[in-house]
Formats: sequence, C-alpha cells, structure tokens
Amino acid sequence: MSHKKIPCSHCHLAFDSSLMIKDREHYFCCSGCQGVFHLLKDEGFGSFYEKSKNIELAPPSHIYEESSNFNSPSFYDKFVETTDDGFSKVSLIIEGIHCSACVWLNEKALRKMDGVIEAEINFTNNKATIVWADDVVKLSKIIDMIRSIGYNAFAYDSSAQESHANRERKSYYLKMAVAIFASMNIMWIAVAQYAGYFSGITQDVKTILNIAEGVLATPVLFYSGWVFFRGAYFGLKNRVINMDLLVATGAALTYIYSLYITILGRGEAYFDSVSMIITFVLIGKFLEVLSKKNAADTLDMITKSIPSEVKVVENDNIVTCKLSDVHVGAIVAIFSGEKVLLDGEIIKGNGSFDESNLTGESEPVYKSVGMSVISGTTSIDADIHFRATKDFKHSTLSNIVTLLESAINKKPKIQQMANRLSEYFSSIILALSFITFFVWWIWPNSFEISFMVAVSVIIIACPCALALATPVATLVGLSLGASRGILFKEAAGLESMAKIDTLVLDKTGTITVGKPEVIKENIYGEFDIWLLYSLVKSSNHPVAKGIANYIKEQNEKIDEIIFDEYMQIPAKGIRAKYKDIECLGGNLKLLQEEGLETEFLTQDTTFYFVVDNQVVAMYELRDKIKGFAAELMENMRHSGIEVVLLSGDHEKITKKVADEVGIKNFFFEQTPQDKAQYIEKLHKDGRQVVMVGDGVNDILALATADIAISMGSGSDIAVEVGDVVLLDDSLKSLNDAFKISRTTFGLIKQNLFISLVYNAFTIPLAMSGYVIPLFAAISMSLSSLLVVGNSMRIRYKWKRE
Amino acid sequence: MEERVTMDNWVIAMMLGVSIFLGATGLIAFMWAVKNGQFDDEEKFLNAAKYDGEDELNDALKQEQKREELKKKYKPE
Repeated sequence: MSHKKIPCSHCHLAFDSSLMIKDREHYFCCSGCQGVFHLLKDEGFGSFYEKSKNIELAPPSHIYEESSNFNSPSFYDKFVETTDDGFSKVSLIIEGIHCSACVWLNEKALRKMDGVIEAEINFTNNKATIVWADDVVKLSKIIDMIRSIGYNAFAYDSSAQESHANRERKSYYLKMAVAIFASMNIMWIAVAQYAGYFSGITQDVKTILNIAEGVLATPVLFYSGWVFFRGAYFGLKNRVINMDLLVATGAALTYIYSLYITILGRGEAYFDSVSMIITFVLIGKFLEVLSKKNAADTLDMITKSIPSEVKVVENDNIVTCKLSDVHVGAIVAIFSGEKVLLDGEIIKGNGSFDESNLTGESEPVYKSVGMSVISGTTSIDADIHFRATKDFKHSTLSNIVTLLESAINKKPKIQQMANRLSEYFSSIILALSFITFFVWWIWPNSFEISFMVAVSVIIIACPCALALATPVATLVGLSLGASRGILFKEAAGLESMAKIDTLVLDKTGTITVGKPEVIKENIYGEFDIWLLYSLVKSSNHPVAKGIANYIKEQNEKIDEIIFDEYMQIPAKGIRAKYKDIECLGGNLKLLQEEGLETEFLTQDTTFYFVVDNQVVAMYELRDKIKGFAAELMENMRHSGIEVVLLSGDHEKITKKVADEVGIKNFFFEQTPQDKAQYIEKLHKDGRQVVMVGDGVNDILALATADIAISMGSGSDIAVEVGDVVLLDDSLKSLNDAFKISRTTFGLIKQNLFISLVYNAFTIPLAMSGYVIPLFAAISMSLSSLLVVGNSMRIRYKWKRE
Repeated sequence: MEERVTMDNWVIAMMLGVSIFLGATGLIAFMWAVKNGQFDDEEKFLNAAKYDGEDELNDALKQEQKREELKKKYKPE
C-alpha cells in the first residue's frame, strides 16, 4: 500500500500520511504542531497561515529549560532594565522565525497579553524588545507564551545591541538629512539671488530671500555643523589647530556677516556658502565614519564569545555555576563539543581536545586522567571531569583576553597624511585671513569690505577639496578591494598599509591550506572503495576529512553505508564492522598495536586502511602550500618588504615550508604570546608590520600589528580583529591588497596635491580682493569636483586592467 | 503701483514660507522615523504595507490605552 506525502497543517513539513495525526480535515506531524495550530485558531490568529503562505516552519520542541529561571533576581540583574515609566524592558532573541508572518504572530500574541506594553521584533536579526508591567505579568509568562506558539526565546545583553559604530552612523544620517535638505532648498533660492545680482533686484525681495536662506542655514550650522564646533573645541583644548576649526570659523564668520547684511538691508549675504561648506565637509566626514572600525565593538565580540556559566559537580550533582564563582579545587564537567573555560587536571574520563586556539595546529590532542587541560581549548569527543587548578581570573584564557584587550586599546595608529597636512594648512589659512583683514582695514577700507575680503580667503581655501581628498580616494580603494574579495574594514588601513616594511605570516591556514590533502595513494590489495569512504566520512578528524574529499573527487557518485558496529579509537583511528567485514583505518600506531607491519616510511602524515587484518591501502597526506606563494615572495622582495614566518609547529615542518616558499626568516614552536612579543620587538626597531593569520592563536599578534590581515575562513574572532579580510583566503588576494593600498596612497597624494595647487593660485587672488565670496563659493565646488574626478579616473584605469 | 510691489513681496514671502514649512514637515517626519527605528529593519519596513488594516489600527490603539492605564497605576517609590 502506497502512501502519499501530506504537509502538516502547522509546520508544512511533508510526511507519509500514515505517520500523521489526523484531526478532522487537518493533518499534523506531531502533537506539538497540533497544539500550536489549535491555540492559534482559538486565539483568533488563524490568518497567520494565510500570511505565512505555506512556508516550512520548525515543529515546536518540548524540551526547554524551566521558564521560572527567567524570574530569578540574577537574571533580572543582568538582562532586565527599568524604563522611565517604571516598566520593565528586556531584549530577547526569538528562535524559529522564518518569515514575516512569524514576526507578525509573535508581536500579535505578545501584545494581546495583559501587562505587555510593547513588543517589537526585528525580522532581519530576530531580536525582540519587550516592555511590560512587572506587577501585572511576569517574564516567565511572556516566555511561556512565545514557546506555546512554537518559538523559543533567549535573553541577550542589550547594551551590546546597538554597536557603537551604528549609533555614530545614525546620528550622521540625521545630520546629513538636515544639511542636504537645507542646502538643496537654499540652492534654488540662490538661483533667484544670482539672477537678481546680474539683472537687478529690489532690496525688499533680496531681504526676503536672505531671510529665507538664513532660516534654512541656521539648522545646518548649529545642528549639522555641531561636529565641527565640537572638533574645533577639542582641538584647541589639545593645542592643535585642525581642519574643524577652519570649517567652524569660516562657516560661523560667514553666517554672522550674512546676518549683519540681512539686518542692514544692503550688500550680499552668503548663507548659501555656509550651508554648502558644512554639507560638503560633513559628507567627507561621513565617508570616514562609514568605514571606521570601532575597537569597543571588537572587544564586545570577544567577551561575548566566552560563555558566562560552567557546569560544576557538587555532591554528585551537576549544577551550573557562574564562571567567576568557581574556586580553585572545584570539579568541573565538560562534555563533548564544549569549550574548556578553566585550567585544571583531569580526574575522570578521556578523549581528544582541539587545541588549535593555542597552537594553531588542527591535529587533535588526546588526554586522559592526570593530564592537564588548558582553558580556551575545545573538547572534541571527551566527556571529562577535571579539578580546577586556577580560578578564571588567573586562567590562560582570561590572560589571553586581557592581553588582547590591551593590545587592541594600544594599537598603534600611523598618523594620516591628510590630518597632518590639514593642521599646517588650517593654521596658515587662518593667519592669512587675519593678515588680509588688517592690511585691508589699515589701508583705509571700510570694516565691511575688509571683513568680506578676509572671509573670502577662508571660503576659497575652504578645505572642501582637502577634506574630500582622502575619503574619496580611500572609497575608490575600498571598492577596488571589495570587488576582488578583499575587505578593508577601515579606510585608514589603506594608507597605513602602503607604508609597511615587514610582513609577518602565520604558517597553517595562511601559507598552507590548513587541511591535509592526499598527495599519494598506495593500493596494496583489492577492496570496496565505498567501505573506506563510509569509514572516513563518519569521522571529524582532519585526516579523515582529507581522504573523504579525495575519494569524493575521484568517484563522484559514491554513497556511504551505515556500519553495524562503529568505534573511534582516540588519537589512533576508527574501527568498524559491516556485515562480516572488519574495517580498520588509522595511523601507524594503530597498525603496530594490531601487530601489522609496514616497511613504508615517510615524513608526511599517513593513513592506513585495513580490511580483515590485511593492509589494503595507504594514503599520504600533506598540508599543501597555497598557490601564488612564490610570486608573492618575489613581489615583496621587489618592494623591499621583509617577510617573516611564525609557526606554532615544530622545527622540521616549519623549515620545510619556509624553504619551499623561500622565506629566510622563520620561527617555530611559537605560542600566541611569543608571536605578539615578536611583533612588539619589531615595533621597537621602528618597523611597521603587517600580520597575516587565520586562527585564534594568531589574534594576539594580529591585534598587536599595525595592520592585521585575516583569512575569511578563519576563526570568527580573527576575522573580527583583522583590519583587512581576504574572503577567498588566497595569497594572490594578499598581493592585491598590497597593490591596492599602494595605488590608493598614491591617489591620496595626488588629490592633496591638486587641492593645494588650487589653493596656491586662488588664495593670493582672494587676498588681493579680486574674488568676492560668491565666486569663492563656486570655485570651492570646482576644486572638489577636480578631486572627485581624479579619483574616478584611477578607478576606471583599474577597471580596464 | 506702490501697492502692487508690496503685494508681490507678500506673495514671494508667503510662497517661500509655505514651501519651506511643508518641506520641513517632511524632513521632521523622516527624522522622527529614523530615530524611532522604523528603517532599522528593512524587511519589516517593506512588509508593513502588506499587514496594514483596521485590525492593526485597533491593536495599536488598544496598546496605547493599555500603556496609559498601567502608567496611571504606577507610583514611583
């Protein structure tokens, strides 16, 4: 009898009809779905199914941690805040949201509850903000409601919710909206002004237009332009004359002068220049903010990746305990897949650990009773109890985090060329403008004329072009990189990278692929290839994965079978049985243990396959060196950059890789701290260093270096710490990154040159009074256009290549 | 003649005033929406039009009333 597949009425996953629960005309895959379905119908949320358009949902699960945990004071302490009105507010992540209908349903159901005042769910990141009156309804009830309709919720710390960078960006959006709105309106009023200037206009109309422009320019100067006043103030406080001061004085003086003209009722007002200056420079500043990396966000990400609770054994019971409350001597339980957060000594159990966080090597390490476990490592298949020998504050992990935090906070900043230049430039222009004013006044001219000429000097020298020179050039660099899979997280990184003289490379995952690949296959006897494939496919060991990939490449349509018996032998291999065939796969140690002999010797990793006590195949594997390595070394030598290799591996392998690639300087058996110290030493010698790495063991060194480049497939934290991310992990991208940074730096120099030459011509004209502010304003735009045009030229040149 | 000139000025001033006022209203509405987080979630923002109706309006009103009611009850300690 054949059955057809019927979709469940709630989750729409299709199953065989005989397996489904039938309920009148509806079918359900499980009682959970049935429950949710009826609940929604009863509560009047039936239109959810029309809205969700038969999208597949996850069936509701019934295994949840007790919701009363959410009412505990410690939970409230950590996650719940009180609003100004005395309501409680929590940020949750809702699990199980598939479509906008899910968002609708959750919001609807929550809002219907008594005491819930606000429920907002963000569809893109599944984050919810809920505000409720705690005396009417408890948080556990709210969580229960979310669970009863088939979703689940976790709390998260909302202080990290909106990243610092995002907040800054938002405030810039608002400021730019005002500035652009006002400038565009002022422009069409200015058309009437200029037309009147040439063809005659009555003073009444002129005053009306001036007032309108003044009304529009006021919010631009005081709201949008506030950043410049603030910047100028902080600059003066630190005894630096910066570009902000020049912009602020220029705009404010012009504004005051225009107000005076408007009230007086004669002469020309220049409100349009005020708003144009602010708008242009604000856009330049925004471009910088857009590509700025915030150290605080990186630190957030690092602390977030450490769980706050551990499982502790107390009187034969496993209880969860706050990480900071664990004392020396406490017994901690770790299950497979979990992260070790404390240092200690194993007292029960054994298994392999992934220590790549500390050493960078992907080979698992086998540990048993009496051996020490290190915090920061991850259990692969070990279920152990260990006695803590240090509390968290003194643990290896905590140590690394502290070092990392200080490295990120201390990160050297190579001063940007444009910033340095603008300091001199601003002081000179302000001085020139003062001199102009006094010379004109003493010469005998009216205060009005002298003031206007002095203002025109500031306006024509207005740093618009200078302010745009760097952001526009770096924007070109960023887009060139992005189209090649090279993400520069910070625009300033482009300029810094062009000044680098030392390149430090990690070995595993950076120069090499990071995964062992089969380089040679030796077949000694006949066997079914699918047997081996199934064997290696069932293991997570990197060697097994390498062989599985190799077989899959050779035989595309291969399928795996399920073994009757299956056992992993830690640090040695796998034993399995299918019907009456005995299979054994593993390293040389396993072979010797089984009493089998082989005369084959090699430096590479080997994997033996044994069927019924007969060695039938042997695979040699090696962590291959990535392509383009030789060209990269050649290019680095050409540009005078010294290359250093730092590896956590032992001498023999490190030397082999270094020789093969052609690196003379190499260091082996490096701990994460060693790598960072080496880079610090380079800093002391006055070197500027690029560090390239991929693993958690590299992050200290990455954070210490001037520019950190991480591989896109590397660990999350390494990607987070990196200033540049190579999405395709290739060495060619690394080479391109250097090339792009050099082009961009060249472009910055060109742009600065253009704006300075422009000023050298126009400032004398302005000082001698040949330029009225009106033309100064026009020429200001012209210089900005020149800079932007030049940047576009480079972009097209690269595109054609 | 004198009267016509003042008339013209009045018309220009009024038109400028009205159009700047209208524009500013739009700008303020936009800024309010940005601050309010209405553009934070682009998916939801686009879907809002799809799920708009009488029910949603009634819901929003009820929510508002509930807030007011609970607010009255709350006495700061």
